[in-house]
Amino acid sequence: MSKNMKIKAKLKKGIVNVKVMAKHDMLTYDQAKKKGTKANFITHISATCNGKVVYDVSTSQFWSKNPQFKFDFKDGAKGDKVEITWTDLLKNTVTESKKIR
Amino acid sequence: MDRRKFLNLSVFAMVAVPASLSAIDFRETKPDTWTAKTVEDSIKALYGDVKLEESGVKVKAPTVAANGGAVPVSVKSDIPAKTVALFQDANPEAAVAVFSVAEGGIVDYSLKIKMKSTGKITAILEGTDGKFYMGYQSLEVAKGGCEG
Repeated sequence: MSKNMKIKAKLKKGIVNVKVMAKHDMLTYDQAKKKGTKANFITHISATCNGKVVYDVSTSQFWSKNPQFKFDFKDGAKGDKVEITWTDLLKNTVTESKKIR
Repeated sequence: MDRRKFLNLSVFAMVAVPASLSAIDFRETKPDTWTAKTVEDSIKALYGDVKLEESGVKVKAPTVAANGGAVPVSVKSDIPAKTVALFQDANPEAAVAVFSVAEGGIVDYSLKIKMKSTGKITAILEGTDGKFYMGYQSLEVAKGGCEG
């Protein structure tokens, strides 16, 4: 269950740094037209830790292919799970989690 | 709870539903933001006619990006924020991302975006004080990223 995302979560000075690489083509409308397929890109990403939302973003097609992103949050401890969910235009949803190191 | 958003979530996510209560899907609530061609129109669609203060928000990106397909951008601010929105003026549409910031959340986001040509990246921060702050960074793109 860990082929759609690469997640790294590390606790440093009371702040959790999270790095994510999601595997997604992020086809824009222009690119899809050229290829003759349907555009599809991630439209929403959210992350939770201990039942709290720590990252939440609505996204457009202009994120890079296999989007990488980073964010920080407080109130995390070693061993807590960070759960990341993304949804794309075709309503595929992927959720993966990783323990904070 | 936004019902439509609820239906979009899979069984997996449903387990975490109490957590997503504060999540806002801006694609559902502000559809015009994502189709607007210019940064100004996009901001208007998202926040309405607001006064922007040019301070407090730091946008970081390389001044010359070799590959427009993945331009690293980071947005940073110490202002307590409700939402943060990111725009650029090189692609057919302006909006890139709208973050909703949790209470006490840290505004320090990095991501990689596509830029078709040389342009400007603008970040708008909606403070918890109801004011709007803006930061931007212009950059040159050597090779456009939207051709794929």
